[in-house]
Order: sequence, then structure tokens, then C-alpha cells
Amino acid sequence: MPSIIFKDTKKNIELLSKKAPVGYAIDADVKPGVTEAYVTFDKKVFPYRLRISGIDEYKEGSSAVEKKKAGLMTILAVQSVESIDPVPVSQFRKGKKKLGEFKDFEEVELPRIQVVEKAAYLDALSHDVKEILAIAGKKKIELSISLAEQLAKYKKSLSQKQFDELMGRVGRDLESKRIDPFEAVGIIAAQSIGEPGTQMTMRTFHFAGVREMNVTLGLPRLIEIVDARRIPSTPSMTVYLKHEFENSEDVVMNVVKELENTTVIDVADIVTDITQMLLTIKPDHAKMSERLVNQSDLLDALAKMKGITVISDPDSKDIAVKPQQESFKRLYQVQEQLKILTIKGVPGIKRAIARIDPATQSWILYTQGSNLKEVLEIDEVDANRTFTNDIIEIAQVLGIEAARNAIYEESLRTLSEQGLEVDQRHLMLVADMMTFGGTVRAVGRQGISGRKSSVLARAAFEITTKHLLRAGLLGEVDPLTGVAENIIVGQPITLGTGAVNLVYRAFTK
Amino acid sequence: MKKVGKFNVLQHELVAEHHVVPKKDEDKVLSEIGIARDLLPKISRSDPAIKALEEIHGPLESGTIIKIIRKSPTMGYSVYYRAISSEVFK
Repeated sequence: MPSIIFKDTKKNIELLSKKAPVGYAIDADVKPGVTEAYVTFDKKVFPYRLRISGIDEYKEGSSAVEKKKAGLMTILAVQSVESIDPVPVSQFRKGKKKLGEFKDFEEVELPRIQVVEKAAYLDALSHDVKEILAIAGKKKIELSISLAEQLAKYKKSLSQKQFDELMGRVGRDLESKRIDPFEAVGIIAAQSIGEPGTQMTMRTFHFAGVREMNVTLGLPRLIEIVDARRIPSTPSMTVYLKHEFENSEDVVMNVVKELENTTVIDVADIVTDITQMLLTIKPDHAKMSERLVNQSDLLDALAKMKGITVISDPDSKDIAVKPQQESFKRLYQVQEQLKILTIKGVPGIKRAIARIDPATQSWILYTQGSNLKEVLEIDEVDANRTFTNDIIEIAQVLGIEAARNAIYEESLRTLSEQGLEVDQRHLMLVADMMTFGGTVRAVGRQGISGRKSSVLARAAFEITTKHLLRAGLLGEVDPLTGVAENIIVGQPITLGTGAVNLVYRAFTK
Repeated sequence: MKKVGKFNVLQHELVAEHHVVPKKDEDKVLSEIGIARDLLPKISRSDPAIKALEEIHGPLESGTIIKIIRKSPTMGYSVYYRAISSEVFK
């Protein structure tokens, strides 16, 4: 489905949305069949969509809203103006290719996909497993699916009587291993993670086997995970490629090139000549080839910058840049802008390294820096497997359930890398608690502990006066249902046997 | 209406299966797990997975129960429920 994209002013769009449906005269030639137009203000994101019901040639004296005073060519019959989730410019395609450079108007395609749910797991189960689950259901045994799968293997070699006996025993075993009501699972989890945690070295620095990549591990990483830091100290992504590209080195190197955010200062020296008001960019050939940048990439990037004159000499590699306005202040500003001018790459990704995974013999990319949202939209990237170690970012891009899985997997990996074995269920409990409210919450004063319903429990944890004062002002009520508050007032706690009330009824004569 | 872009959140490996519980089954689910609706774990209205579900099922009210089926390393699969909350987190 062809669409058009163009740059416009906020004022025009506001006028359009007030007047719609209305004709809109624009300064470009539009082919028939276009039904959608995306509008940008800053050439980066497109926050508005226009629905177009017809296209007509521009004639003077029409009643249409005019984009400009002169040079108008086409009238679009705008049905409605919608404010949408901003679409970044990188999503539009022109003949299956990304837009190299977006000026003011372009005819493009916007790839779309049909959203489909994951196939229900129950359908994927084999017939035997379903049968066993049905039998267990009749006997009121809460059988997990992994157990049912194991039982299915034995079923064939056992007689009916033996199988019934096996099921009975499994049922009894499950019953006896079940957590007792009012067991303090949280305390047990805290202790089970805390005790091996003391054995972790405070400052663990470790090069995770990849050259030049340093990823926080050990205790600092574990603290980072449970604190739900907004940005981890070493954000890093693991990028998988689609299966058809996994073994092709050329594609891999292209993706690396596409990922790495390279600025001018990374590949060149900038020399300032104050007497001639001139900046000279001296490309470093070794750095350029290492970063897979060539001279024309550099010139393309410079062409996008405003307020400068680029003087390139075909004989020499050096590029001279002159600010259009002659002042020392401007010269300094241009120099600073040049340093951070992006030549190519995804913002936020400093470095990307490709490595062959020994297990599968296919390429995997590791990055320094993380930008999940944009990396997932790259054509060659397998969006379904790629992930980052920034849990907050996962929560924003993939949702709370993905964040829960990420917390669990990251903490499990951090612990097991240190050779510590913690039962998975404790980590699952932590992950579930952190994501309980729909957002990732830290364990601690700002998060879980600071949001308990009981005033006394909160006051017993940290910043006592603040909580007591606030409770007094607001007239909070504490029903004394938790543990800490009952210890404070000297009652049996609501755990284990303390949670059960015994009523003695004497024999009446 | 199809979603813009090429990436489907629901198909990602880290994302568990999300299914909308039909209105008529909600009471049954709540009585089965013995929990009031407002005590269920929450999922934000602006959660990417909810937005993707809305592409399929149309707008979802807050309070709608979402059945989540997770791959569990201990149980094979485990079932979890979340209720859509009206809060929007940024």
C-alpha cells in the first residue's frame, strides 16, 4: 500500500484537524491510489496520519487549505487527521530499501504485519500427555505438564494396575511436597538468595569472553537487577540474525556496520584553524576501515548538517568545513557539533561485535549500549530472539511479562556464573513480586517494601518518621494482618501456626 | 487494521502467551483461583502486549482479565492471571 510522507508545520496540521474533511493543497506531485499520508515536524518521527479519499490537480481559487503560498501542485481530499504513536522515519521503505535521506516529500511504503497470538500451548501437547492430564484431573491430582510428559514415557511399559499405582504415588508425593499454608516463602527466598550472595566478591570485573566487552557481573549486577535501575551500568544487547542470514559473514558485517553508532570524532581528527576560520577533518584511514566507514559516508553525513559549507578536495582525503557565519563562537559550535555528528548506526549503540556461537556454529552479535526498539526493526535481525540486559527497556518495549522473564533469567545467570546454586523458585518469586503491579518495581524503600499496605511495617523498614507522620495526617488504619506490625504490638504473627485460630468447645453436660 | 512495522511483540521468546479471558468466563476464573478482581496482579493499559492484543480483539476495558501461560522451567507450563489496570506507566 503506497503512502506519502512529508514535512509540515504544526499550525497547518492543527488547522487541518479542525476543518477536516477538507481539501489540502501541497507542493508535490502525488500518484493516484495513495490513501494515507504521514506528517512529520522534525524529519525524525511521524506523529500524524492523514486519511486521503481523493487526489486532484491544483487549480487556483479553490477552497482548499494551502500548505504554502506558492508552488502548489496537488489537492488531497483529507478525510481525517489522526494523532498516532509516532512512527520513526527508519520504518518507511522505498522499494524494499530504507530511506537514505528524507528531504521534504517522499512516496513510500510502510510495511505492516498482522498481529497474531502465540499458538496455545495445549494444542501442541501430544495425545498421551493430554490423556494423562485428564486422568490426573479425575483423581484430583494437580499434575504439572513436565511431570505429565515424563509419565507419558513410562505409561507404555507399565500395566494398567502398575500405572494406577504410579499415579497414586505421584499424587501423594506432590501432596506431601506442597508448601504449607502460611509458610513464609518471602523470608525463605530472601535468605536463600542472601546467603550465597555473601560469597560473591564485591568487585567482580570479568571479561565475558568477547574482546573489548566488559559486562558487569556478580554482586554489582545482582544489586542492579533487584534495584530496577533505569539504565544498567553496562547495557548490552544480544542480537540474533534471521536463520537465513546466520551463516553469511557478509550480512553479519553489514549488520555490524548498521548497528554501530559512529561519529566523526571516532574516525577522524578535527583541526581548527582560527586565522582562516576553517575546520579541517582529517580522516584516519585505519580507524575508518575498522569502523567500516568510507569517505562517501562521511561526506553524506556532512551534507545533512546545516549552516556549514563543505569544501572537499578530490586529490586529498581531508575535508574542509567552513561555517557560513563568520564568528569565533559559531566556529566553536560547529566544531562541537561535528564531533558528535553521527555518520551511521543506531543511537545508543557504541560498539557491536560479531562472534560465532560454538554450540550452533552461527553468528551472534553482542553490542555495547542498548536500543531494543530500533534494533528489532532492522530487516536482518531476528526480532523474536534478540534481547537486552536492560530490564526497564524490556518492560517498555516487550511488556511486563517479558520483564518478569528477563529478571528471572538475568538473576539466575548472574548467580550461576559465580558458581552459586539458588533454587529457581526463589528467583521466580522475586521476579513475580517485582512485576506484580504492572511495572518493574525495585526491592526496597522505593519499591516493594515502601509500598506495603501496613503503616507499621513500612515505618519499621526505613524512614520511620515520614511514614508515621503521613499516616497520622491521613488517618491511615492498620488492620495488623502482616508480620512486622504484629511483632511491634506484641501479638503472635500471622504465619505458620500463628495464623490459625483454635477454638475450644467444652463438652456441655 | 494491521500494525505498523514488522515486529510482533507477542511472538518474542521472552513474552509469554497472552490470552484475553472472555467476559462470561471471568467469574469462573476468579472463583477458581479464589481472588477478588482488584487483588489480581496488574498489567498496564499501555503495556505493549496489551496494545498488540487490542489490535486483534479491539479495545479492552480496564479490569479485563488476561490469562498468561508461561513456559516454566519447573512445571513445563504455568498459568498466571493479570487484570488490566487503568494506570499508565512512563
